[in-house]
Amino acid sequence: MPTPTPRRRFLKFSASGLLLSAQPLALQHAFAQSGDIAIGALSPLSGSGAQYGPPMQKAIAAVIKEVNDAGGVLGKRINLITEDCQTNPEAAVRAARKLIDIDHVSAIIGLWSSPVTQAAAPLCWESKTVIACASGADGLTLLPHQGYLFRTQPTTTLQGRKFGEFALSQNAKKLVYLTPQTPFVQSMTDNITKAIASAGGTVTTIVYEDKKATYRSEVDRALAGKPDMLILGGYVADTAVLVKEIYRAGFEGKMVAFAYAVNKQLIDSVPKETVEGIFTIAPSPAEGSGAYTHLKQLIGQDNPDPYTCQAFDHANLVTMAMAIAKDSSGEAIKNAMRRVGTAGGEPVTDAVAGIKAIAAGKTIDYVGASGPCKFTPIGDVVDAQFRYEQIKAGKQTLLKIA
Amino acid sequence: MNEFLQALVNGVISAGAIALPAVGLSMMYAVLRFPNFAVAGIASLGAYVAYLANFHFGLPALATIPIAFVGAGLAGVLCDWLCMRRLRDKMGPDGMLTVAIVSIAVMIAIESALRFTFGNDLRNFDVPLMRDVTIVGMRVSPQQLSNLGIAVGVTVALFAYFRFTRMGKAMRAVADNPMLARLKGIDPKTIAILTIFVGMGLAGVGGTLLGIDTSIDPLTGTRFLLTFFAASVLGGLSSPAGAVIGAVVIGVAEEVALIWLPSTYRSAIGFLAIFLFLTFRPQGLMGQR
Repeated sequence: MPTPTPRRRFLKFSASGLLLSAQPLALQHAFAQSGDIAIGALSPLSGSGAQYGPPMQKAIAAVIKEVNDAGGVLGKRINLITEDCQTNPEAAVRAARKLIDIDHVSAIIGLWSSPVTQAAAPLCWESKTVIACASGADGLTLLPHQGYLFRTQPTTTLQGRKFGEFALSQNAKKLVYLTPQTPFVQSMTDNITKAIASAGGTVTTIVYEDKKATYRSEVDRALAGKPDMLILGGYVADTAVLVKEIYRAGFEGKMVAFAYAVNKQLIDSVPKETVEGIFTIAPSPAEGSGAYTHLKQLIGQDNPDPYTCQAFDHANLVTMAMAIAKDSSGEAIKNAMRRVGTAGGEPVTDAVAGIKAIAAGKTIDYVGASGPCKFTPIGDVVDAQFRYEQIKAGKQTLLKIA
Repeated sequence: MNEFLQALVNGVISAGAIALPAVGLSMMYAVLRFPNFAVAGIASLGAYVAYLANFHFGLPALATIPIAFVGAGLAGVLCDWLCMRRLRDKMGPDGMLTVAIVSIAVMIAIESALRFTFGNDLRNFDVPLMRDVTIVGMRVSPQQLSNLGIAVGVTVALFAYFRFTRMGKAMRAVADNPMLARLKGIDPKTIAILTIFVGMGLAGVGGTLLGIDTSIDPLTGTRFLLTFFAASVLGGLSSPAGAVIGAVVIGVAEEVALIWLPSTYRSAIGFLAIFLFLTFRPQGLMGQR
């Protein structure tokens, strides 16, 4: 038998190896626990969103425990199955497949990044499973999701407009938007442009590839036109590389970023001078609301981030929707979701109180930790406030909530 | 023209960090005959070892390089000893696929162990960040220049080792013809361990250089696994010198192409280069077979 050449052998090994390396999820949680009602939490525990997934799942687990301790919903306990989306659409599809086909969940909640939600959503609507996410890309709710998709994160139309308006308020008219490839690049670009065009502003968008060790050439291109302000549209890992390159290149202008990218983790991990003065914009949690206070007590954390608040709301919304529908199927949850926040109903801030009120025949009005949690017909959240901060002396300093 | 030269400089700088793990990978392939995917995990591990020495024990970044080399080398040998040695010994050349798969498991295990120990947070070396300087119209970063210098220094030392030392020559002999080397009294097992130590040590240094330049997290090495492989394939798989050239070709091609193409095609350019090479010069730049 002829011996294969080293090249062929290498290619055979490499191809099989790379295929197999993409399958770690197949080995995880091979057997799900059986439970009365199954709900899945699919958040990023690794990858670029790894900072946000663990507290999101903690908040969801705390809500489910609270509900189970109070007797469950519809007389049944809820079985929470958690999975890691790895902030990676392919891994998310495998995990969603497992949640739907093996665990038979009626809802998947706590999704974070837009590419992940975009990849997992078709599996959900095809299997009549509700999907609740904290993802902003406009296109998500325009998918033919038949009402199964809900999001608590403001759309990028709104976010893009806020970035543009903020740039103008800082007298910046020549903007460069540096971003990895995400489903919201185009809508961010369009909406920033819309916001600043009337004042004579321009935006140049430079899309880069994430997971690279250096962005020198991208930064050279960004700074070639001498912009007033850079908009950083990436996630933590790539932004950490980018801010260093921008500093090295000697850029002295203003920068604004999503708060999920320039967060405490990033600030602590890069030299202070690289992030000093960067403005950040984020959807604001409903600080001061009853649900926000309840969440703080529940997870023992003083300052839960917006995504933890949204994940907490997802768990509350889904359990109360089941109680309203008197049915735990995905279709029933979908149909009852908007009745969790009925105007004029009894105000509630947690699922246990909500389920009790529903059992007593009352209508309820849930106001969540992330905001009012009212949805448009396509599943977008109706109202959102934004939190503007600036890094001063290495600390995030609140400028305004508007 | 200036833009082209700047891209060329940027490419060479980015090649510095990926060359060392690529060389490690190639030399391990040359001797052991399987692609050791654990190289990515060990690159991250080496970076964490250096980080501990730098951040917690206050050593200057430069002094952490030998520590990263030894730490990563020992970890690589330990992983091989625990997980791959017996399989390697039992299986002939056709069983190396099994060993390669085990090396993926090792990579995932190392990555998870790092995540378990250090968490997912990004960690930054305690090195001062300097503004770039302009030399004959070219913008270069002093830190990145120093990293490139280290990468070049380590590579030169490695090739001197291959050429002038007894063990280096023995490694080349085993890579060239294991049967003949055995007849000459060279113990292939010792050479295998030594090769893994040096190869993984290089991966550790590469991971550290990436970390000093950017920051580290448990995925630092995994993120660059494909680039390491690309450089290695381009160089001819089992040729350490080829891997260095492969790294430079990939680094420069990616940067220069950005002059005309959107930067989202960066990786595609590297893989296009691999495709062209495997089609028209399948033995790679320096491969013999």
